[in-house]
Amino acid sequence: MSERETRLMRCFAAVFPELSPEEIRNVSSRQTGHWDSLSVVTLTSLVQEEFDIEVEPEAIPDLNSFDAFRAYVENACCRSSQL
Amino acid sequence: MKLIEALEIVRRSGSAASSSRIFLACGITPLHLQTFLAAELFLAEPSKRIEMRTGLFGDLAGNLERFNADGVDHLAVALEWSDIDPRLGSRSLGGWRESQMPSIVETSQMSLARLKHAIVAASAKVPTVVSPPSLPLPPMFTCPRTVMSSYEGQLRSAVASFIEQLANEPGVSVVNAQYVDERSPLLSRYDLKAELSSGFPYSLQHAAVVGKAFADLIRLSAPKKGLITDLDDTLWKGILGDDGIEGISWDLEHHSQIHGMYQQVLASLASAGVLVAVASKNDAPVVQEAFKKRNLLLSEGDIYPNEAHWGRKSESVARILKTWNVGADSVVFVDDSPMELAEVRSAFPHLECIAFPKGDDQAVWEMLKRLRDLFGKSPATEEDKLRATSIRQAESWREMGSFPEADADNFLKTADAHITFHANAGSSDRRAFELVNKTNQFNLNGRRFSEGEWRELLKAPTAFLVTASYTDRFGPLGKIAVIAGRTSGRTMHIDTWVMSCRAFSRRIEQQCLRHLFETFGADDIVFDYVPTPRNGPLREFLVGLVESPLMPELRLSKSHFLAKMPPLFHVVEESVHV
Repeated sequence: MSERETRLMRCFAAVFPELSPEEIRNVSSRQTGHWDSLSVVTLTSLVQEEFDIEVEPEAIPDLNSFDAFRAYVENACCRSSQL
Repeated sequence: MKLIEALEIVRRSGSAASSSRIFLACGITPLHLQTFLAAELFLAEPSKRIEMRTGLFGDLAGNLERFNADGVDHLAVALEWSDIDPRLGSRSLGGWRESQMPSIVETSQMSLARLKHAIVAASAKVPTVVSPPSLPLPPMFTCPRTVMSSYEGQLRSAVASFIEQLANEPGVSVVNAQYVDERSPLLSRYDLKAELSSGFPYSLQHAAVVGKAFADLIRLSAPKKGLITDLDDTLWKGILGDDGIEGISWDLEHHSQIHGMYQQVLASLASAGVLVAVASKNDAPVVQEAFKKRNLLLSEGDIYPNEAHWGRKSESVARILKTWNVGADSVVFVDDSPMELAEVRSAFPHLECIAFPKGDDQAVWEMLKRLRDLFGKSPATEEDKLRATSIRQAESWREMGSFPEADADNFLKTADAHITFHANAGSSDRRAFELVNKTNQFNLNGRRFSEGEWRELLKAPTAFLVTASYTDRFGPLGKIAVIAGRTSGRTMHIDTWVMSCRAFSRRIEQQCLRHLFETFGADDIVFDYVPTPRNGPLREFLVGLVESPLMPELRLSKSHFLAKMPPLFHVVEESVHV
């Protein structure tokens, strides 16, 4: 697991403390009853703070799983490192 | 604190045995403010899990008016401009035309009056903390932002007046805007994107600061009781022994103004009841002469005792603590010498030792702010102001403790002592609440209460609260004893009993019991006694009074007490709070 993924896992664990690491990797808006607008807002704030990136409001509806967040963070971090 | 840390702390708090119940009233989405507040409260008191309730979005006044205090220990009110008039926020498009400004000002004044009424009503039920608007106003005024428009002036004036009125309410604590300003830069407080998308306008950093401010007010730590200061290069600039009396200074002319400010703070603390003593390596007569000849801002009368000699500082500190009869953990020691600080620290590990930063005015300024935080309490009571005087008087009373019984009787007979018992004052008695939460030695069980818990305890139909004030020919001590508990038929259960250590050796404790037996017509008193590391004086008193071994639910019958009661010489008065 990359260092970036470990940090993202910690963000998810803070919002979904009842999920195991394996469950976090598979979590999505379709698979858990805990995934709601509040958890998305909190995850977005955590990710912005943890990775020092801006999450655009238009991107939020698509951030509906751990994988989606991971892909967004990877892209955003790559973009900022190229600047 | 970062948001992820706050969330992890909140998760840990779930396993605590007891709970602290907070209602966070705000018109914004509570979101991360709620998280930071819960985390800070848990850090301040890890034995309690935090249960937080919130109200409806966009309706602060309604949330306060509907507020039900049942099951709530504290109310926290986060006020923002948009709660005063939605047009002062970003989620409303009600218009910022010049012609609308009078209406915005008028609505704001009406809203503030409504909010004040609701907050005052709520604060009568639970302790309430209020955070004034902390976000910048939007770009709504027609003049350049460098210019204060008349309308903005009126809005700020209305809020200032609202805050001033709330700050005078007994059940309300207001977050000091300067505290927030020092920790949260104005330009990075507002998160427009988050406000528009989720209704939460605070940046994470600002939410953390406001949450901490709320928690600090809800869990105000007990203020320190005494300060011991060095003299040379601390209370004044210069070395008295080398520079002579005329060579020491604390003024602009000698570039030593900061020492004058230190004196000014100590004088202010002394006037608010903080004990101030000197521990200095100097010749005592020279120090006395310096205090007499030079016009210090801290007068000799503010200082007791004044330990000036060439012995070890830790010996001075030990004598001062004995004279004050307070624990080292309630005292601060200030000295410019790292060596002296280390010596005192090694003898008294729980005493807070602070270095006076020699030659660094800015660092001294920061130290003065720290002293304010360590000793801060609001407002100072009459009893606080009496404390220093009564400690001087305590010397003669302490000597009385070693007198033979007959001599002690004679001493007490001539003391012209008066005790006034106050009954049913309820939770509005601030002094009673403070005394219960800071007394260690004569304390039945060491139990401490939050303001909410104290109010809850006294709400019970069978609850009673009795306090005692004392005065004698040596001067008044003010309110010095608090007894709280429940009645059950002809039995009284005492859950809380504390008495200030300044009041020892006067047989006030016996007079308290006699008063309870007589006034309440009780046959028995049951004490909820629990030994603590520091309640030895209470334990000794009970050992001399009861025959059975000390245990919880300790019972004392009236007949047994009367048989054991020594002669009492106080004039007793009663004052019943209606």
